Amino acid sequence: MSILSTSDTMYTPEFISIMVLMLVPVFAAVLLALFKPDIIRNIVAGAASAVIIITSVFLAFTAWNTNKNITLLNADWIGTLLFVIEAAIALIILFLAFKYKKPLAIILALVQAGLLLFLEFSGLVGNYTGATIVLTNLSLIMVLIIGVIGTLVCVYALGYMKDYHEHQKDVPVRKRYFFALMFLFLAAMFGIVVSNNLMWLLAFWEVTTLCSFLLIGYSKTEEAVNNSFRAVWMNMIGGICFTAALIYILTISSDLISITNLLGYGNVAALTIPLALIAVAGLTKAAQMPFSTWLTGAMVAPTPVSALLHSSTMVKAGVYLLVVFAPLFSQTWVGIALALVGMFTFVATSVLAISQSNAKKVLAYSTIANLGLITACAGIGTPGAVMAAILLIIFHAAAKGLLFLCVGAVEHKIGSRDIEDMDGLLVRLPLLATMMVIGIAGMYLAPFGMLISKWAALEAFITAPAGFIFVILLAFGSAFTIFFWTKWLGKLFMRMGKPQAPAVKLHISEKLSVIIIGALAVLACVSFPTIIKYGINPYLKEIFGIIPGAELLSSDTLIMCGIMFAILAVLVIAAAFGSKSGKEIKPYLNGRAVDSDGKFLGSLGVYKEAKTSNYYLEDYCGEKSILKPSWLISIILIAAMFVLAFMGVML
Amino acid sequence: MMEIIMPIIGAVVFLILAPFLGGLLAGVDRILTARMQSRVGPPILQPFYDIGKLWHKEKAFSNPVEIIFTTAFLVLTAFSGAILFAGNNILLVVFCLALADTFLILAAYAANAPYSHVGAVRELISTMAAEPVLMLLAAGFFMVTGSFMVKDILTTSVPAIIYLPGIFLALFAVLTLKLRKSPFDISTSHHAHQELVKGVTASLSGKSLAKVEIAHWYETILFLAMMFLFFSGQPVIAAVVIIIAYLLEIVIDNVFPRITWKMTVKTIWTITIILGVINICIIAIFGGMFL
Repeated sequence: MSILSTSDTMYTPEFISIMVLMLVPVFAAVLLALFKPDIIRNIVAGAASAVIIITSVFLAFTAWNTNKNITLLNADWIGTLLFVIEAAIALIILFLAFKYKKPLAIILALVQAGLLLFLEFSGLVGNYTGATIVLTNLSLIMVLIIGVIGTLVCVYALGYMKDYHEHQKDVPVRKRYFFALMFLFLAAMFGIVVSNNLMWLLAFWEVTTLCSFLLIGYSKTEEAVNNSFRAVWMNMIGGICFTAALIYILTISSDLISITNLLGYGNVAALTIPLALIAVAGLTKAAQMPFSTWLTGAMVAPTPVSALLHSSTMVKAGVYLLVVFAPLFSQTWVGIALALVGMFTFVATSVLAISQSNAKKVLAYSTIANLGLITACAGIGTPGAVMAAILLIIFHAAAKGLLFLCVGAVEHKIGSRDIEDMDGLLVRLPLLATMMVIGIAGMYLAPFGMLISKWAALEAFITAPAGFIFVILLAFGSAFTIFFWTKWLGKLFMRMGKPQAPAVKLHISEKLSVIIIGALAVLACVSFPTIIKYGINPYLKEIFGIIPGAELLSSDTLIMCGIMFAILAVLVIAAAFGSKSGKEIKPYLNGRAVDSDGKFLGSLGVYKEAKTSNYYLEDYCGEKSILKPSWLISIILIAAMFVLAFMGVML
Repeated sequence: MMEIIMPIIGAVVFLILAPFLGGLLAGVDRILTARMQSRVGPPILQPFYDIGKLWHKEKAFSNPVEIIFTTAFLVLTAFSGAILFAGNNILLVVFCLALADTFLILAAYAANAPYSHVGAVRELISTMAAEPVLMLLAAGFFMVTGSFMVKDILTTSVPAIIYLPGIFLALFAVLTLKLRKSPFDISTSHHAHQELVKGVTASLSGKSLAKVEIAHWYETILFLAMMFLFFSGQPVIAAVVIIIAYLLEIVIDNVFPRITWKMTVKTIWTITIILGVINICIIAIFGGMFL
């Protein structure tokens, strides 16, 4: 008898693939932590990345639509191992919290450790014999996102970190530590999305908390340390709620510890309290209001960390958990309250994004906004809403990953991450700017991914209970979104006084990742009907038993979308190859004398540069005026969610 | 068979006739405006003469990308209208219009000149201000007719105006904005007395400017057609309402002075919230009673 045996055939290709996806990153992390030379790091990380990408594609290909269950026998020791890991995480956080004197983190770590000990030794955990791993299409979509985009971010980091340490001389070089954590992060994410046993999921959940905490604090500056502790205490609140939810569920029945059993449980009214706790866990990880500041603070970390946190890992774990439980949320008022928190976050952070000129901060707020929309969809939880949520997850991962990688590379080339300094980027850094344009267009313009997803969300909201509130909020939130993206886009196309193309060398790893993710973003956009039909609909059929009939997918609409794509394609080709002949004239300055560089004659007879800058509407949209009221409103909404949970009100 | 041909006919008719109609309307507009200001005004075909003149100007630009961007603005605005007249999805019309507007804004940004930049930002603010109304309009039609498809909206037995009067009035306010009429002509205007010399188009000339003008004609007809959707089965009433609406726009244009962008957003959104949002809420809450 083997130590690890699966119920049906012993080692199916799916099982082996999952083992590869979990163990290869861990093994790579160990090697990366041991060896210092860049050449070894590049080889190890490169080889591991290739294996992960191929395996995740292979796994998705073989397990697609099969809804494969894998039950591990004699796997108690894994449970024990995971408990040891969780205990170790608590100890590490405690140690660091003591070292940096952070009382809040100490208290929360102690509470978390106490709950874990209670969970482990109270005898509540029965002998769970159900499926340990379930591969739904949703898990597989997540596997692809983590495996392809997450891994490409790690590849990008190989080149990026070289530049990073050239720019940041005072930051100690700890590349071994950095890359080991990045790969560990991927392994934990794979664990989260394939686990059916919630005890396992919790353990991986805590690993991502630890990894993000350590990565955010990478530079060890005061700001980095503070922000990393903010991230960890907020996420520990989520961890504590998650653990509490599991304890509550176990008191009902020890069988309910798996996702499939919970979803199949008849008496949802008894589950409202753990659902609300799980909702908070999801909200913290997905950086929703009032927990948004940990993600905006996380931008002190090197850019690949942000790219990883925002696109494929961490925050996506939060919304993944919410989407998984969407069928339960849809039956309760807890779900509506959760959806309101998400929708409110969508509007508030879209407003906040207007006031930011720091590109990474704009991206961060936009991430939080889109996660808010996903949260809203998960809270509504109807089949249509879940479809919108999954679409948002996919398109957001591609577009946002791309944008972060571009901003990171641009920052190293022009020495700034301020959008005001990105004018004329299309002339200065054609490749990166083009990719940035693809990313931005993918975030908000028709007929690209995020807009299609928002459309799906609108259709889902309009037929949902109390959906009109969400429709109205979506209408206003989208308007703000248009504002902050378009003004960024405008900057990139600006004519420059002196078109300059400095000899820029992009590391091959950076170039490769950016181009591949860019291509994937475009591919995902044009193939959205396929993604829905063959990826999402089978999942919905499995979970809900029905497939939502969306007008978005009617052939009439698809034809028009197709024509729109064609028009845009022709325009892009015309822009690339069309004639640019003609007389280039100086910009019009209302009759002022303008010299050949576009400078104008000032009143003292000196030629001055005409400068323009965007509107940031600081008074209306600034953090000072928006953040505090938003915290208050979201806390009230979360409190309302718990009241509804305790009352056990069903829809 | 008719199901395939009718949409194509609708789209083609719009694509061919809308610029003529829009141009004529612009001519009438200029004459009426002139009469209100005790002037004689240009001949009714003046807008077409203007385009003819612009079309033969030397090709000149401050940034070559503006050629593509203005083309995109024209093509996509026309296409938005084609979607509407093909009886297709009204949400797609709204999204396609936003995309078209984005290209106009980018064309203004591209020049990197102060006047066109300010025009670009103001046009962007106008787009932002108009967006919620347009989305609520689509949502409202769906709530009343159960479909986003224009062909379904046009065949409902009870005209949508009965249920959506608030949305209709909000659309009228947005029409003022979209026609770039005072008090909302923050990003552009036909009159020389303003400080921003046509703001958003300040750096455009020749064919590029001509394309923006033609796109504007398409846009005008498109928005008037959106008003038509509220009166399914009542074409005569619809025509009368649209004519009155346009005349009102001209009067409003001449009566009100231009207001700042802040006031524009505040006014439009106050109207949106008071008329549009409340309209949607009432329908959603009491929908079961009279739908």
